[in-house]
Amino acid sequence: MKPSHRLRLKKMLAHGFLLVALALVVLPFLMVLVTSLRKGNFPPNSLWLNPDQWSLEHWKYVLNIPYSEIVNPSTPPLHWLWNSVIVSALSSAGIILLSSTAAYAFARMRFKFRGHILQSLLILQMFPAVLALTAYYTILDSVGRHVEWLGLNTLPGLISIYLAGVSTNIWMIKGYFDTIPASMEESARIDGASPFQTFVRILLPVSAPIFAVVFILSFIYTMSEYPVASAVLGTPKTWTLAVGASSLLREHEKLWGHFAALAVLSGVPITVMFLLCQRFVIGGLTSGGIKE
Amino acid sequence: MILPTVSPIRLLIAALVTLPVLYLDFLTYQSGNNWLGVVILGLLALGLYIYLSPRAYTFRYLFPGLFAFSLFVIFPLLYTVYISFTNYSSRHLLSYQNVAELLEQDSYIVPDTPCYDYVLYRQGSAKYVLLLVDQSNREQRFLSEPFDLPPGQTVHYPTLVKISAIEPSHSIEGEPLQIAQITREGLFIPLRGYQFLLPNGQTVEKEGLDQFCCRNKIWKRNPDSSFTDQKTNFTIRPDFARGIFIDEKGEQIGIGFRAFTGLDNYIKIITDPEIQFPFVRIFLWTVAFSAISAAGAFAIGMVLAVILEWKEMGLRKVYRTLLILPYAVPAVLSILIFKGLFNQEFGAVNEFLHAVFRFAPQWETNPWGARAMVLLVNLWLGYPYMMLICTGMLQSIPSSIYEASAIEGSNPLTDFFHITLPLVLPPLLPVLIASFAFNFNNFSVIYLLTGGGPKMLGGGSAGETDILVSYTYSLAFRSSENNYALASAIATLLFFLVGTLAWINLRMSSRRIVY
Repeated sequence: MKPSHRLRLKKMLAHGFLLVALALVVLPFLMVLVTSLRKGNFPPNSLWLNPDQWSLEHWKYVLNIPYSEIVNPSTPPLHWLWNSVIVSALSSAGIILLSSTAAYAFARMRFKFRGHILQSLLILQMFPAVLALTAYYTILDSVGRHVEWLGLNTLPGLISIYLAGVSTNIWMIKGYFDTIPASMEESARIDGASPFQTFVRILLPVSAPIFAVVFILSFIYTMSEYPVASAVLGTPKTWTLAVGASSLLREHEKLWGHFAALAVLSGVPITVMFLLCQRFVIGGLTSGGIKE
Repeated sequence: MILPTVSPIRLLIAALVTLPVLYLDFLTYQSGNNWLGVVILGLLALGLYIYLSPRAYTFRYLFPGLFAFSLFVIFPLLYTVYISFTNYSSRHLLSYQNVAELLEQDSYIVPDTPCYDYVLYRQGSAKYVLLLVDQSNREQRFLSEPFDLPPGQTVHYPTLVKISAIEPSHSIEGEPLQIAQITREGLFIPLRGYQFLLPNGQTVEKEGLDQFCCRNKIWKRNPDSSFTDQKTNFTIRPDFARGIFIDEKGEQIGIGFRAFTGLDNYIKIITDPEIQFPFVRIFLWTVAFSAISAAGAFAIGMVLAVILEWKEMGLRKVYRTLLILPYAVPAVLSILIFKGLFNQEFGAVNEFLHAVFRFAPQWETNPWGARAMVLLVNLWLGYPYMMLICTGMLQSIPSSIYEASAIEGSNPLTDFFHITLPLVLPPLLPVLIASFAFNFNNFSVIYLLTGGGPKMLGGGSAGETDILVSYTYSLAFRSSENNYALASAIATLLFFLVGTLAWINLRMSSRRIVY
């Protein structure tokens, strides 16, 4: 065999392999799209619809347009998406606010027990929120008896639990600060700037990329978070997307069509957002110390 | 470092922050949460010291992050450990104080006393009087002094109101209220708190919706914290070691309360066969699940990364973008989608397998089928992250190494196993361990896909695909027993296990990372 033929063959094999992988990735999503347009509630199982199977009932359900004699639910499904966006945006912003100054101190200042505190941040955050659920539940329950808007069944209560993400992000932001040479800050200090001024005026402006990464990663994480949200939020009005979407697939009443339409409608913007910010995120994952 | 002195503006801001916190603390103290009050006061003092004293300058930066960390990570963790030493569960839900109060309130209708019909009169805008008519002798009537009924609010029980005898012909001022009206205006709620003191010394209170009767307390609290049944002189006392009330023979009476039980839960995990049997099986499956997930996702991610790094391939960018999709789509949605695709009767996977291979695995009812499904889905979810990491690693290997080996006539396979893998594996080991630890606690994929099922025979609430976290969750939240304490004990053990892994990981990677 000639070398050029061999190369051609190798390329074809590689393409074939990648195409199979692509099919496994993309086909499930296409099937969900088809399911959302199909009459009735069947699990996703085909890429093709006969003309008599077409129906927009699931999309009408999701967009809260009346579509049959059955009354639409009191909580429109898009409300769940909205709840999720609020919770994710506020908790991600909160995490950045709370962790950035600490990351600065860890990166630039020398103090007692610095290494120990950093290590314990990393080890203690390995304790997943699901395991502390009983504790979170009891704590929120007793807080709610005195401060109603911060108790069980409230979005602020859920957000405050998600703020537990500070530890991982202190590490990520610190890792980025470490890569920025301190020389600029040195010269600002010589010119008489206080540490806080150098932090705000010099370090923060050049650190926008890492804040974007932290924001996007924690946004996506909270968007997908299921166990804590389902334990804390009891009424459909306060549900997040994760809890609401899974509620459509209860044991004896699986509304696959409704679920598919909701999944497409809410999954697409999040996915597009991620892909647009991909470059930042991948950079943040592969550089800077510790990941995930 | 320049240390700023305390400026008047800073003092003013500190005062403005301090005042509302002090007020909040006052409210906390008033509501009976003394310890919380002390903690808030302590935190306030700490915060003031940090933001005013030049010596604590560094901590001004650390405070927000470390404060949030203590509040949202360390505190719940310690609380979980604390619960694991108690018997907190649906049978021991309330504190001793609450259960004792409930016992004190237990009452019975005193035999041989009359019950009364009643009419509630409204006088003016907010005052009420009650007329009682003896059901056995309708000539016998009583009228209360005026009292308040704040709509919808509870009145502390028992609030005593005197009620005195009147002639049947006595006319009563005010507007009589119907039962429907009383309900609608939410007046029953405050009415429950009142007891009416008859001239003969008996008290009567609301019994159901339409009468007032004479009730007596069943239990009398003795100074030694035992309780005596006033009808039969039967005595029970609390057993704080077990969190229950017991009679003389040691039998449980009534509901239990929360008690400190020491190492009981941990001993139970080791010795109780009903828990030990599922625990060991679930532990082994958890290890296998995490190991296969981490290693498998790494292998797939690595192969894809190597192919996509091949410069002569076309369309690399398109492939890469689409192959990242499982990482970009919210995992909850993907997991639920796969639940549908793997549906045994109607799902796409079985339709395809049946059409092509005449073979339809039982993904939902067969334990091995369910395990295979969970693993397949988790690999699908996990490989893009590994692919991204591996791509980063591959790009950092200088191409001159490959050129050198090409001159010696190598082929791609030997290149991969003799150059790439040995170079890439050591720095990736921490990532693999982190991924193992992550999957060890990968609750969502198990819970949303199978709910832990199919059920494990002889394993109580355990399922064949349950990993330790999902088992813990169903012990606490899905079984009727709601065994929060046992769940917390397993959670504590899990934390030590995963914490050790994280610590080892840190040791290994600290060679690369400079703090």
